[in-house]
Amino acid sequence: MLPAPTPAPPAAPTANPAEAVLTIANVSLAFGENHVLQDFSLTLLRGENIVVMGKSGAGKSVLIKCVIGLLQTDSGTITVLGQDVAALDHNGLDRLRTKLGFLFQSNALYDSMTVRDNLLFPLRRQWLTHTPAQEAELVKQALEDVGLADTAAKMPAELSGGMRKRIALARTLILRPEIILYDEPTTGLDPITGREIDHLIREVQKKYNTSALIISHDLACVRLTADRVALLSEGRCYAEDTYAGMQANADPQVHDFFV
Amino acid sequence: MSVSSILAETGTVTRFAGRVFREGFRPRFEVQELLYQCYVIGYQSLPLVGLTGFIMGLVLTLRLRPTMVQFGADSWIPVMVGMTIIQEMGPIITGLMVAGKVGSNIGAELSSMRVTEQIDAMSVSGTNPFKYLVVTRVLAATLMVPVLTVLSDAIGLFAAYVGINTNGVTTVALFTNQIVARLTFGDVLPAVIKTFFFGFAIGLIGCYKGYYADKGTEGVGRAANSAVVAGSLAVFLLDLLAVLISSLLGLY
Amino acid sequence: MTAFLLITNRLPLPTMPQRPVGNSIRLGAFVLTGLGCLLAVLFLLGRKQNLFSRSLVIEADFRNVSGLLTGNNVRLGGITVGTVKGITIVNDSTIRVAMSLNTDAQPFVRRNAVATVGTDGLVGNTIINLTAQPAPAPPVAAGDRLRTTTPASLNAMLGTLDISNKNLAVITQSLRRMATKLDTSAIWQLLNDRQLPATVHLSLGNVLATTAQLRQAAQNAVQLTNGVRRGQGPLGYLLTDQQFGGQLGHAARQLAGTSDTLAATLTGLKRQVQTGAGPVHTLLADTAAARQVRQSLRSVQQGTAGFNQSMEALHHNFLLRGYFRKQARKKARATADSLKRVGQAR
Repeated sequence: MLPAPTPAPPAAPTANPAEAVLTIANVSLAFGENHVLQDFSLTLLRGENIVVMGKSGAGKSVLIKCVIGLLQTDSGTITVLGQDVAALDHNGLDRLRTKLGFLFQSNALYDSMTVRDNLLFPLRRQWLTHTPAQEAELVKQALEDVGLADTAAKMPAELSGGMRKRIALARTLILRPEIILYDEPTTGLDPITGREIDHLIREVQKKYNTSALIISHDLACVRLTADRVALLSEGRCYAEDTYAGMQANADPQVHDFFV
Repeated sequence: MSVSSILAETGTVTRFAGRVFREGFRPRFEVQELLYQCYVIGYQSLPLVGLTGFIMGLVLTLRLRPTMVQFGADSWIPVMVGMTIIQEMGPIITGLMVAGKVGSNIGAELSSMRVTEQIDAMSVSGTNPFKYLVVTRVLAATLMVPVLTVLSDAIGLFAAYVGINTNGVTTVALFTNQIVARLTFGDVLPAVIKTFFFGFAIGLIGCYKGYYADKGTEGVGRAANSAVVAGSLAVFLLDLLAVLISSLLGLY
Repeated sequence: MTAFLLITNRLPLPTMPQRPVGNSIRLGAFVLTGLGCLLAVLFLLGRKQNLFSRSLVIEADFRNVSGLLTGNNVRLGGITVGTVKGITIVNDSTIRVAMSLNTDAQPFVRRNAVATVGTDGLVGNTIINLTAQPAPAPPVAAGDRLRTTTPASLNAMLGTLDISNKNLAVITQSLRRMATKLDTSAIWQLLNDRQLPATVHLSLGNVLATTAQLRQAAQNAVQLTNGVRRGQGPLGYLLTDQQFGGQLGHAARQLAGTSDTLAATLTGLKRQVQTGAGPVHTLLADTAAARQVRQSLRSVQQGTAGFNQSMEALHHNFLLRGYFRKQARKKARATADSLKRVGQAR
């Protein structure tokens, strides 16, 4: 199985005005009185990593759950790979999700299954059919990508936090997604393991030419993984720039994040 | 707990049950997972249910014996024990044991899956988690509790036979005939049918408590705990309902 | 995050993620065993209720089925041969019971078998007992209607009491007739007869036997009235039966007559003895005869006492109290009427 087709040439992401794979336009979402997102807009280009920063509870996780259709927006449109998420029916959403990866903050590995079954779960549940040999090959490939080739028979509970994160990434990669959504990939990990994960994110981006929307407030992670940084504040996209540009920004709100 | 919150809870559970039916009848059907849940809920509960059934039958017989002998009604012991086990004790004890074991298991499993985002992960992986997790478990509990009850009844009756044989010898044929002579379809069928409802209630409540668990550590514990409490209560309420309905229909 | 990990590690989650074939086999065995147990019980019950064996339907009409239910057993000589299939009311005094009979038992149930409603033990279900009759008859066929009987009840007991009262009347009548014969000229013929002692001896023996019978009859009456007092049931029968009361009165009158006649006879005899002439002397010299006379008189006394007692019992019996009260009222009214008439005549 080859990486997902890439119609647009994978040129330097920020340089060329490349194809937009994800467009978030004027999205608002409120839980009762709590207006989490208010008129939020952001565009992700092919092969590009965007890190969304923001305070805890600012609505970063809500944003990417809206992108993958786990939450419904109140207004605004989210267009993923040319399809309006809100307009899709159940099956359409499932098909779209085969091209989207989601790395959960708590990894969300199925405790009751081995690593192999965890990896095979999305493969078997999607509208894809594989022979057992193909499945074995895909599992092996995905585990090698994250550097844990010998853990296939283990249970998630036997693994360390960093290994679990890698397995979760492998489970995301097995479907060869075009866009990967990372929900705080380094939170809860020690700095060294965190850096390993950051490098892994970069490697995946290079190897499969994926785009990524990364939620983080870990500065090291942001510096290593971001092509662009967006600051989510009061429900809006407060600022948007490269890491260096953000660091140079004199705005007190932006500046506070980059001390 | 105030009345209005109880009513609200009942309403939500009812809507949850409605969703189980709605989604349960729509393809695709999670047959593999259903069979696995049947295995977990049914087969793996058998040792526990069987042991309680055995003890129940034995204790009932040995306790009943002195009284019955006083009345000179030794020959009625199999009938009394058989009727008690088949009509009430078997279904109730099985229901409670399953509510304790399976209800807490489902509540804890689903709530921990909710808390660790495994349920969201399933949605993302193109699986309807409601169908994959809830419908299969509710259906498996609905189907397995009657089987467990019948087996528990059988084991309980065997224990009663053992208990009777501790004081003198009774043949299996006599024991069976004494019970069957007094038993009617009206005794057996309602007792079996109500266990389907027991199973449905246990599975439904366990799934409901787990599926809508609060985020956080205590949410898991609370879900498991309240699944057991509400499940056991539901078993008793349904049993009361079953008695009322079958006496209305003139089956007793 | 770490907290979540801790929980998930501690949870009692199933540790069998792979689903090998063995699990399916175990599950299958488990389910089949359960279903097998259930089916076995249902089969046993079905066999008990003859759902699976071939059967034929016969009928019987009863006046009273004492709470018989559909599904109750039908027994022949104590062995269940079928079940009650349906109960219908034909009219106000006829309940038709349809019984489904096992074909295995068909040859043994004859067309002249008698069906009765009974109970299974002291507190058991109502059942139908089929009783075979000695006379030969062909086996029953579908749709046959069996004869029925009603087991003994208070009705039957009261019937017996009526008959024994009639008997009592007849006995006292004949006793009186006999005493009258003694009183009339025949007695003088007897007294003149040389063979008188022997004949009197013989007739006194007869009197003795008759009075003994009378006493027995009176005892019967006592027993029966006691039975009535204990029993309960159709009171109206006795209360409305004027004839029965009349018969009782008649019997009492006759008994009184008999005693009168006996008294008269004895006065005659006493006179004879006092004159000290004729074969009466011989008669009296015969101590055995005298003893017999005493005995027979005592028997008469006992008999009347017994009858008194039984009348007393009837008076106190709540069944008949109303009747006697009515009689007393009637008498009182009659007295009042006559008094009024006397007054008017004046």
